Amino acid sequence: MDSDLTPIRLENITQRFRVIQERPDTLRELLSKFLRHESHFHDFDAVKNVSFEVPKGQMLGLIGRNGSGKSTLLKIIAGVYEPTAGKVDVKGSLAPLIELGTGFHHDLTGRENILLNGLLMGYSKRQMQEREERIITFAEIGDFIDAPVKQYSSGMYMRLAFSVATEVDPDILLIDEILAVGDAPFQQKCFERMQSFRQAGKTIMFVSHSMEQVARLCDRVILIDQGSIMADGAPEEVIAAYESSVTPEVVGAD
Amino acid sequence: MIELVRETYRYRELIWALALKELKIRYKRSVLGFLWALLNPALLMLVMTLVFSTLLRFPIPHYAIFLLSVLLPWTFFSQSLAYAVESIVGNGDLLKKVRISKLVFPMAAIVSNLINLGLSLIPLAVLVLLMRHPFYWTWLYLPVPLLALTIFTMGMSFFFAVANVYYRDVAHILQIVLSAWFYVTPIIYSLDFIPPNHQWIFKLNPIIYVINGFRLAVYYGMLPKAPSIIASFVCAFLSLFIGFSIFRKNQNAFVFYI
Repeated sequence: MDSDLTPIRLENITQRFRVIQERPDTLRELLSKFLRHESHFHDFDAVKNVSFEVPKGQMLGLIGRNGSGKSTLLKIIAGVYEPTAGKVDVKGSLAPLIELGTGFHHDLTGRENILLNGLLMGYSKRQMQEREERIITFAEIGDFIDAPVKQYSSGMYMRLAFSVATEVDPDILLIDEILAVGDAPFQQKCFERMQSFRQAGKTIMFVSHSMEQVARLCDRVILIDQGSIMADGAPEEVIAAYESSVTPEVVGAD
Repeated sequence: MIELVRETYRYRELIWALALKELKIRYKRSVLGFLWALLNPALLMLVMTLVFSTLLRFPIPHYAIFLLSVLLPWTFFSQSLAYAVESIVGNGDLLKKVRISKLVFPMAAIVSNLINLGLSLIPLAVLVLLMRHPFYWTWLYLPVPLLALTIFTMGMSFFFAVANVYYRDVAHILQIVLSAWFYVTPIIYSLDFIPPNHQWIFKLNPIIYVINGFRLAVYYGMLPKAPSIIASFVCAFLSLFIGFSIFRKNQNAFVFYI
């Protein structure tokens, strides 16, 4: 009974990508390769046989080096990728905060972009109109809201994007490295917003390279390396495991 | 097919917003803005009328109306395809980041061009009045060929949008195909110009039936015969069925190829 309400459940997920090698082949090379049936690509498993569950209300941190498969995992949960193998089970509404500002169009005004972005995320026009004022207030955009976003400073742009993405009421939030937005006071606001999501009992998955943020926010941390789970547990332990795994050269040089 | 109707309805607001975005961006920063949607066809008509009433004289009265009655729907068809073929690849960044219905992009391309077509009918009506061509009641029939043409265009758009995901050559090939297709379709000429024993070849062209409906209604003030109407819808649904089946089967894989 209880486990049926688990918001996120992954079972034996594998995600395979076909990597195309675009080497500057000469025509002769190409021909000989073709004759020998050599392929121009190889398969690469970005995620290998990963299983875990996230219980309701938990804030789970995902850490690991660049290219370890963290973002791929988030995208599988977000439904962007259909995994090559395994089962994804996501219950409840989901807000993916992955690369802010995707879908913003530079020639449209801030206001127009709020609507378009909301619709792209699956909200209705009415829902977005209700939220519009709150989004604008939180983003601290002021009169610029009716100017095309290409005239925004990069800080304003990111603030608006963050505000659109988070002024929502989902059951599950997927956050990929976005808390480094804007200046210090705005970062503080973002941080407070994350805390309030947490207090509201939302299930959150949080990808970050900032161990300080992960330690401060998360209840549980998973360490991923080369597509597999290396450690899963309390933040201090997993972060310690990660830090010892990324600094062997430094230790060795000692 | 049911899925297509359901998804289109579900994402209607998004499709509409994307279509309007398309138009807004096209006319943004131009002094006349949306007026260009009317001016463009109007100026095209002016050129056509001048060329065909002075330089090239066809033995067809009011040739401009004869031509535009099918050129405008053809433009809708070819422009929609030109937009749709890039619609999935062009929105690749978005598809890689958010889970989103894929069909909204080709649909938005069609809707934005449908709006353009609707607007261009206004200068056509003005031209009909100016040239003192009779304004036939059969204009009321136009929604029927328009429906068939839209369905036909949807099928082709889905097909080319998918094909372009796998082979980017498709967008280039499409341009050539469209220009060849333009000349084998009776747009600047009439099917009557073709010797009767060769006409059957032209009748293999699936778009000819629906195109014919536009010309009959606007220029001749007649309705197409039942077999022609049926043929236009058979071609339309066949196109949609094939195009959408291919699209549906491949849509989850798009994200790996863009």
